[in-house]
Amino acid sequence: MSVVTIDRVSPRPRPRAGAAAGRLVSAEFLKVRKRRGLVAWTAILTGAIVVAGGVLALLHAQDPAKYGPAGGLPNLASVGYMLSLLGAVAAVLAGATMGAGDLQAGVFRDLVATGRPRLALFAARIPGALALLWPLVAVSWAAACAGSVLLAGSHPRPGLAVMAQGGAWVLLAVTVAYLIAMGLASLAGSRPVTAGILLAWQFAVTPLALALSNLGVPREGLLTAALNRTIPAGLLPGQRPDPVGPAMPVTVAAAVIAAWALVPLAAGAWRTCTRDA
Amino acid sequence: MKQTDMSRTARAGGYAVQTAGLTKRFGGRTAVDRVDLPVPAGTAFGYLAPNGAGKTTLIRMLLGLTAATSGSMRLLGHLVPAERSAALLRVGAMAEEPRFLDHLTGRENLRINAAAREPAARGRIEEALERAGLAGRAGERVARYSAGLRQRLGVARCLLADPQLLILDEPTNGLDRAGIVEFRLMIRSLVDEGRTVVLSSHLPVEVEKICDAAAIVDRGRVVAQGSIAELSARGARFIMLQVGDPSRAVMVLTGHPAVCSASEDGHQVRVALGPVAGDAARSAAADISRRLAGAGMDVYRLDLPAATLEERFLEITHKMQDEVAA
Repeated sequence: MSVVTIDRVSPRPRPRAGAAAGRLVSAEFLKVRKRRGLVAWTAILTGAIVVAGGVLALLHAQDPAKYGPAGGLPNLASVGYMLSLLGAVAAVLAGATMGAGDLQAGVFRDLVATGRPRLALFAARIPGALALLWPLVAVSWAAACAGSVLLAGSHPRPGLAVMAQGGAWVLLAVTVAYLIAMGLASLAGSRPVTAGILLAWQFAVTPLALALSNLGVPREGLLTAALNRTIPAGLLPGQRPDPVGPAMPVTVAAAVIAAWALVPLAAGAWRTCTRDA
Repeated sequence: MKQTDMSRTARAGGYAVQTAGLTKRFGGRTAVDRVDLPVPAGTAFGYLAPNGAGKTTLIRMLLGLTAATSGSMRLLGHLVPAERSAALLRVGAMAEEPRFLDHLTGRENLRINAAAREPAARGRIEEALERAGLAGRAGERVARYSAGLRQRLGVARCLLADPQLLILDEPTNGLDRAGIVEFRLMIRSLVDEGRTVVLSSHLPVEVEKICDAAAIVDRGRVVAQGSIAELSARGARFIMLQVGDPSRAVMVLTGHPAVCSASEDGHQVRVALGPVAGDAARSAAADISRRLAGAGMDVYRLDLPAATLEERFLEITHKMQDEVAA
């Protein structure tokens, strides 16, 4: 039997961390953009408000006395709120898919076997899917802003600052929903379980908890309450949805939002690094 | 092998894989039991074990997919898990059945894996597909692939690392006969290029045809290891005789110095020689033939089957089962 003598294999130098991370992010984006069903649902959910705006514009054109203008500041605020909810649903679907997809497909072990740190594999999932979510949400918001200006009619027109702040707030809501879903899916290792739990939380438990005034101030610990507190003032002059007690300081709201995003993310990262691949 | 001995040997070079006292327990069950495995570089090495004997668990430990309970291991001279990233840079591995993202094409799946490797890995995709015989199907979604095509894609994925060491877990599963023959040739060509191949299998024939050396494993323990020729020769040899009077032949051969046992097997006599090397077995067969002729018996046929790894493997694993049963 011939034996080839080797010493410690001197690996070629690892490329710069930034370039390596860029390739991983690009790979994650490839995974998500090729999921036709997910892309279609994301487009439908985020595009729904544009369709709704179009319907309102048609109704207004047919019967202006009965139906008010489709645009203007009040409608933009409603559209922003709807886009944050529907965008969050899309984000939950995307996050659950990205968090558990590799594991459920059985390819996580092959990625780990490349020697790439597990944390790097986990971290790449964040920008990888946001690269799909953000543009779709941004396009819908841009269309909503254009409609709100062009179809304002008798309503006040939103300013550029309000539109920018509103867009940033919608993106924040979508991003937080994505981070929670991705973290939990990485922790649970199951896409349907994660999506089911989060959608039930968002659309059943949270509204119920917000409505139960007996629960008092602790309700401000809910993500929806904290997000509502951070809606740009210019978008909702003189009103706030779902007030749950004495006005929560914005800094506290920001801390609540950060906790909601970071705790599941940290749990998911920990599980990704420690689980048997 | 003690840790200090192992470190010294690794520094001296020569082993692509080296484990010392490697153990993995799942609760009260020991899947891998104090395995000392030196795999010489530049060879094809078989890790031969019955199903459920800890083959995949060993491979998963080597790749850092699961932690060892105790023991140490080195891949290409690097300690695992401490230097895992450096160790795996030139390792291509297929642990268990190859799995892929079904919604992507074969080529896209390789792009995903290449992204986790060095930049040059992406440039190896087409060559890997070509070598695995998948160039014509790489644009199809993996969901449409047969088990054999998935196996080929798994091999192509291994080649992205430009591996000095390939670790393949039951790699011929799902391949048809032609695919198996093609696969054997590919493995040998990789070894001829100076790469090391560790191949786990429950099929002695596969290991014998592909590998230079092997370890035979039973219930997580390495019970024999060495070159294929050494392992095969160490086993007991048998002679099958067709004679006029089998009962009398058994009596005549009882007490022969080379014969461990002789028994009737239908119209034949089965003679167990015990562990003897090739020439000694032939000499014993000739002597047995002379003794039967000297006793006035007609010998119609005498078969001395070549020693095979399969016989040795079955002998060892059956013996272990018998010991457990006893």
